[in-house]
Amino acid sequence: MNEIAINIKNLHKKYDETVYALQGIDLSIKKGEFYGLLGPNGAGKSTTINAITSLVKPTEGNIKVFDKDIVSEFRYARSQIGIAPQEISNDWFFPVEQLLYFQAGFYGIKRKDAEERINFILHKVGLYSHKDKKMRQLSGGMKRRLQIARSLVHDPEILILDEPTAGVDVALRHNLWDFLQELHKEGKTILLTTHYIDEAELLCERVGIINSGKLVAEDTVSNLKASTNKSKLEDVFLALTGRKLDD
Amino acid sequence: MIKNWVGFYTLSSREVLRFFTVWKQTIIPGVITTLLYIFVFGVALESRIDPIAPGVSYKMYILPGLLMMNVITNSVANTASSMLQMKLLQTLPELLITPLSSLELSISFIIGGAVRGFVNGFLILLICLMAGMSVQDPISTLFIIFIVSWSFSSLGLFMGQMSDSWDQLSLIQNFVLTPLSFLGGIFYSVNDLPTWGIAISKINPIFYTINALRYSTLGISDAPFINSVAFIIVFCVLLTILAVKTMESGKKIRF
Repeated sequence: MNEIAINIKNLHKKYDETVYALQGIDLSIKKGEFYGLLGPNGAGKSTTINAITSLVKPTEGNIKVFDKDIVSEFRYARSQIGIAPQEISNDWFFPVEQLLYFQAGFYGIKRKDAEERINFILHKVGLYSHKDKKMRQLSGGMKRRLQIARSLVHDPEILILDEPTAGVDVALRHNLWDFLQELHKEGKTILLTTHYIDEAELLCERVGIINSGKLVAEDTVSNLKASTNKSKLEDVFLALTGRKLDD
Repeated sequence: MIKNWVGFYTLSSREVLRFFTVWKQTIIPGVITTLLYIFVFGVALESRIDPIAPGVSYKMYILPGLLMMNVITNSVANTASSMLQMKLLQTLPELLITPLSSLELSISFIIGGAVRGFVNGFLILLICLMAGMSVQDPISTLFIIFIVSWSFSSLGLFMGQMSDSWDQLSLIQNFVLTPLSFLGGIFYSVNDLPTWGIAISKINPIFYTINALRYSTLGISDAPFINSVAFIIVFCVLLTILAVKTMESGKKIRF
């Protein structure tokens, strides 16, 4: 019941002698939990996420996914994670559906076994009628949905979303929120970074606030409000970081 | 060891499909360039140039070198551009987080480049045959085209991973690979060079690739065939190790 999906211990990342991106992050996310990681630009949110997915090599510390080390047991750890990165990638060469088949293949899923899942996801994110289009023919919102579709194609236990609603219109944002809540109800563990405090307040069961590479607070939204005597999560954030979100 | 066979097959197929989808850029130019060389040297200039080897016209003499230059250019370009393009378009991180090992990633990319080099080499070989070139040992010829494609595909992967921009990549291609190709003896016999020129040629890997192919097709060479083949095999193994180890190191792709 209280199985730990992501366990980060004493995570440090130093890019050179003067740039400390992460300074001893300890973080545990339970299986099935919806966790929000908030912080100003450059606080270390994306570095933390990239360390979990092994795009960033920690200077110190270790990360486990379902109790397996992400380096020594990388195949297991990576197969449990789906990530929708902040940057929208642009694969010029292949249509949407083919990109999803490739994605499934990279995770060891054969084409015939992937077909049903890919059709399901294409319908789910509203891209089924655009499945034969190439990425350059998609709108910004569609590209964002394709990122999410790619992260889900191997049916991961953990979904990591790095600012998934950045630059997305209001209707699509609400649509994505509904979809994420649905995935959460299905039992997926979700780690979300966002600049939108209302998004974190609405979706996340627990929130961690990261500032200058350190986790400065972590609790449920209601407990954070109570402990800081603030009525809004945004005020909690400002009190703990001393900055606005988009500073 | 390769364990994720489905992932390995998928990425290899992607890399092969990638260059076939843009065949006008990746296949046709090499064919046209070779046809132009055959026209210029075969029709316009051949009567003015003395044969370098007895019984072999100048046009025939240069064909194995032209074929090899195309193989090298295409195999390097495929892996180098694929890797650099993925870096610049942000698609590489999405690949690096999948359960593919560094070995699986590297060999898949190399296969893509090797297939492109081989396809180009094979098509140009057909043109050479139509132009009247003989092939004394077809098996060795195909083997040499393949192993050279693999070698330079590995080099391209290394170059793509280490480059940060198209400028850097073209610097290596224009100032290292193209001169080495021309100085490898495409248009002349290195034995006609002064002693220092011969010595320099003999440390140029492209010299051995051209001469191995020239021997397997025309039966003439500036270096013993067995030496050339041995050199190419060692070169191929070293470049493959370099590409795999660079991928394993994560240099310029994992931070």
